[in-house]
This record gives sequence, C-alpha cells and structure tokens, in this order.
Amino acid sequence: MSATTVFGSGGIVPSGIAVTGVSRSFGSVFALRGATLTVPAGSVTALIGPNGSGKTTLLLMLATLLTPDTGTIRINGHDPVIEPERVRAVMGWMPDTLGSWPSLSARAALQTTGRMYRLTGEQAAVRADELIALTDLGDFADRPSRVLSRGQKQRLSLARALVHSPGVLLLDEPASGLDPAARASLRQLLRRLAGEGAAILVSSHVLAELDEMADAAVYLADGRTASPEQVAAAGASARSWRIRSLDESALERALATPGVVGALVRVLGVDQLGTLVQVENEASAAALLHNLVLSGVPVCDFGPAVGNLEHTFLDLTRERPARHSSVVVNPEVAP
Amino acid sequence: MNDHNRLFLTGLWLIVTLELRQRVRGVSWYVLLGVFMLLVGIVTFLLWLATSAWLSGGGGVFSTIIFFVLLLGTLVSPALSGNAINGDRDAGTLATTQVTLISTGQLVLGKFLAAWITALAFLAAALPFLIFAVVLGEVSLGTISVSVLVLAAELGMIAAVGVGLSGILTRPLFSIVLTYLLVAALSLGTLIAFALLGTATQQQATSVNYQVVESTYDEQTGKQSDIVCSTAQTSTYPVPRFDYFWWILSANPYVVVADAAPGSFDAGGHPTDLFGQIAVGVRSAQAAPELYTEYNGCDEAANGYADQQSGIGPTQQEIYDGAVPSWFIGLFIHLLLGAGALTWAWRRTSTPATHLPAGSRIA
Repeated sequence: MSATTVFGSGGIVPSGIAVTGVSRSFGSVFALRGATLTVPAGSVTALIGPNGSGKTTLLLMLATLLTPDTGTIRINGHDPVIEPERVRAVMGWMPDTLGSWPSLSARAALQTTGRMYRLTGEQAAVRADELIALTDLGDFADRPSRVLSRGQKQRLSLARALVHSPGVLLLDEPASGLDPAARASLRQLLRRLAGEGAAILVSSHVLAELDEMADAAVYLADGRTASPEQVAAAGASARSWRIRSLDESALERALATPGVVGALVRVLGVDQLGTLVQVENEASAAALLHNLVLSGVPVCDFGPAVGNLEHTFLDLTRERPARHSSVVVNPEVAP
Repeated sequence: MNDHNRLFLTGLWLIVTLELRQRVRGVSWYVLLGVFMLLVGIVTFLLWLATSAWLSGGGGVFSTIIFFVLLLGTLVSPALSGNAINGDRDAGTLATTQVTLISTGQLVLGKFLAAWITALAFLAAALPFLIFAVVLGEVSLGTISVSVLVLAAELGMIAAVGVGLSGILTRPLFSIVLTYLLVAALSLGTLIAFALLGTATQQQATSVNYQVVESTYDEQTGKQSDIVCSTAQTSTYPVPRFDYFWWILSANPYVVVADAAPGSFDAGGHPTDLFGQIAVGVRSAQAAPELYTEYNGCDEAANGYADQQSGIGPTQQEIYDGAVPSWFIGLFIHLLLGAGALTWAWRRTSTPATHLPAGSRIA
C-alpha cells in the first residue's frame, strides 16, 4: 500500500448511512422486512447474515439501484430514491458480482470510471495511477481486464469504488478471492479510510476477519435486522473457550476436579488445537483460568474458541434452525 | 450551451466511445468491413457491366450500392446492437455504470449512437464505390443527398430498435432474435402482407363488350357501313385490390429509401435507377383497378379509329408523378418505432428500479 491520500479533495459531509424500517419484496418473496441500521461516519460496520438474508438487496438499495417498498434511507442526509445523483456523488459501491469491461485495461477502466464521475481526463489519469498503487495492481494495470484473476479483479473493483473519493463505502464481499496478504492490505485500507472519516458498510462471510476491522456489526436474518437486545443476549450467552496446556494430562486431571471447574463450566471435548469447554460468561471463564493456574496447570493458551461476531451470528441464527440448516460456518476459518 | 448541456454531452460521448472501444475493437471487425468492401466492389463491377454504365450513367450502380449497404446494415446491426444493455447487465458492467453520475438517458442514448455509428461504418466503407458511381454520371445531387440521408436514418432506426429491445428484454439472445424478426417484418413481412391482402380482397370486375357482327366495308373510304351490332356481352373476372393496401409498403425500409429519392427518368419516361423502378411499382399500386369497362366496337367501327392513346397508357414517369409519395409516412413510422423502443428501454433501465423483471439481476 502506498501512502497516497485516499481522499484527495472534495469535502466529505460526515454523517454516514441511516436506514429505518426498510422493506422490499419481489413478488411474494420478502427480501427485507423492516431492516434498521446506522453506519456513522468514521466507522466500519459489518453486515452479517446467512445466504439469502437480504444483504445484497439492502446494499443495492443503498447503492441507488433499487427502491424500497417502505422505510427510509439516508446517505449523508440524501434520499437515494429522490436524489440519486447526490447520493452517487458521495457513495462508492463494490458489487458482489465482478463486472469489468473485458477489452479495457485496469488503468483504462479506472480512468473511464473517473470520467463517469465527471473528473477531467487529466484528473482521471492521476486518480487511476493513485488507485493502481493503492490496490497494488501495478503489474497488471495495462493488461485487458478479462485476463485478470479473481483476486485481481476484486482489487480493481475496490479501486473503482474509490475513484471519486466517496465518503460512504458499500462493500459486498470485498475479501472473497483475495490472498491473505491482500486481505491484510484491505483491512488496513478500510481502517485508514474510516480514520479519514468515511462511513463503511462491509458484508462478508469471513467473520473472523470482520472481527478485526469492524467497529460494529449488523445482523441480518430473514430480512430483519437483529435488535440490540437480541445481539446483547446472543453475545452474552454461553460460549466455548479453548484451553491449551504444556501438560495435557495435568489439564485433563484438573478439569475433572469439581472444585476447579465450577458449576458454570462444562467440558465439551478435546480437539487437535486443545480442550474445548463451555463457560456461561466471561466471569466464569476468568474464574476457571484462575483455578487452573492455582492447580499448577501450565496453561499456554486460553481464549474464546470463536470470534465475537461469529459467536453472536451463530447464536442468532441458531434460533431459526430450520431456515439456516444449510449455513455451515467453520470456526477455524483463517482470516 | 450551458453547463448542464455540456456535462450531458461529455457523459454521452464517454458512453459512445466506451461502447465503440468495447464492441467494435479488434481484428474481426476490420475483417468484416474488408469482406463487405470486397463484396461491394464485385457488385459494382458486375453492375457496371450489366447496366452498360459507361453509356447510361451511374444511376443504377449508385442505387444498388445504397440498397446493398441497407441490406448489410439490417443483417449486421441487430447482432451488434441487440445486446447493448442486457449484455452489459449479464457482464455485470451495467450497474457499476449506473451508480456513477452517468444518467440513464446518457447510457441509453450513448449506446444507441454507438450502434448507429457502427452501422454507418458500412456506409463509409461503401463510399469509394458510391463516388465511382457518381463519376459515371447521370446521378443528380438530389438523389445522392436524399438517398444517403434516408439510408442513414433507416440504419439509425434499426440501431434504435436493437438497443431499445436490449433494454426492454432480459435475455440478450431473445432481444437479438426479436430485432432480426422486426427487421424481417419490415423488409419482407410488408411485401408478403401486401401481396396476400391484396389478392385476398379480390373484387369482381365487369366488362361489357359490343362487337360488330356484320358490316359492309368500303375499300375506298376505309369505312364500314350497315353495321350489325352484337348484344352486350358481359364478362366478369376477379381483380386484386392492391390500392387498399399500398400503404403497407410505405413501412418497408427499401421502399422508403427508393420513394424518397427524387425520381430520375429518361426521355421515354423510364426510370434510370433502381429507386425509380421500385417507386413506380409502389406508386402504381395506389390506383384503383377499373371495375367497370365498356368497349363498344360498333361505335369505333362507325366513327373510325380515333388517335388511340388507350392502348399505350401513361408512361412510368406519369404514373410516378400522378401518385402520392409515401416515404415520409414510412420514415415517420420508423422514427416513432425507434424513439418508442429507446424510451421504453430508458424507462426499464432507469434506477432506482421499482420493478424487476422476473429472473433478472440488476447487478
């Protein structure tokens, strides 16, 4: 990543995204039912939900492509239905489907997009160079985009969303297809953009990664956003912790001792990474660690087995097992 | 020009150039144009021989090349324009353009202009041969300018219909096929409809004849006397009523071009180019057939055979001049068709979208 300023010029009105009670149906299918969320300026918010929960529909509405049936949307104070042009001037959208003009090079595509945002030819060329450096596309910038790999196209798509230095960023699965280094760069870039005042909404399935960069999360299931109470309850519910010891047999013995484990802890089993226990809350986890150390167990690793977002997500979706039985979330997904 | 217009035109031109770079670049396009030029060259040479153009002038060659460009345009243009919008939707580049400051009007109009320019490339490729035909002589400035302008308008109509249908229909293949069908309906369908309807609405015409049965012929005066006349001999026969349906032909692109060109006739009243021949054919269909004819051979025999004009009939030029020109009706219909298709496409493509066609993805 270069040190180029992402927001070259142009004032940003720092107010972000506000969605209130938005519903949308396609025929008899309800994609969204009363979704409500806010993304303040200067923050990254994760949009989390199982497949078919309405994430893309919501992003399409925020991107001025689809009208809601009911409810209101404000992007930096503007209604995308009434003033789409004002919204488009401040909003950058990275779609989940990768589309690029096949015969144009990445550089030409970025320049053309810049011109579409009414930059002059010269400004667009300068901006394209900045973004090529920013998204590390230098080696591929002059090849036709049809020969780019999925990860390279993904970076081009991100660069295109940033062409006009938008104050509001909508990213639909930005990390899919990226290698670990590119993902780390993406994370840093998004944090930096948020630091410069952008309001960023990211949808992703890679929850562990969102954990590291999101300030807040919005959970979407069946077209509804989970209420703060539901989220708090899910976050506070019993969860698995993983314990690893230099002496596994000592750990096993200690966990079998009733005084050490306590009433709020239950041993779930042992896997290749350590022993999994279910603890009721963080206080009982702290007590367990305290007791283990007192018992002389050499604990070298002690922490939640799944990230916060993932724990909440799984807990919220578990309430509707029939609907989401097909969603398999692997707790070991690498960031 | 105010600031708003300038912004609109800048964006419009951006879309036009993007479309041209996307669709028309590459070797295959130039090969296609090269093959087209070769074909036109062969046709020009053969016509030059066939019409003895070094004697009779280039009218026949010129008009045939114009029709050849129209034919090629109608064959190629639907394939190039019929997936302009839904093809972009399939490729995922439509929505990413729609979220920028490019308006739906700029998008649809820009794609239309690019498709039109592409079709006009065929006209440009035929230019050397058109110039050759003009150099052969006898092609009036009126014929050159009117036929080229009307041809360009007809190619624009096809481009507009293609781009329009690509915005109205979701599947590219379907919109391309429908564009072809529409072009075929105008080019061939009008002919078929005209012929079928005309012959299906036949009427009975009556002809009454009086003939000399017996007479005395005076060889010195050359007159007949003591004429005994037959009773009225009535015969009926069916006649097609093409005059009810001639207007159908006015929607035919070839007829529009032919009828619009100013008629060019030789001293004997015969058309000197293909435009004139087609126009005379179409305009002669305007005249109603005579449903009642009477021929009195006895009167003629008694009064002598007057300087007869009836056997010769009007010249082709007289038919042409005596009938109503129809090309502007056809051109107007085509204008409505193209504008209507583009307007509909504009409404279907405009965002934020309220309705989505079944099975379509706006991204």
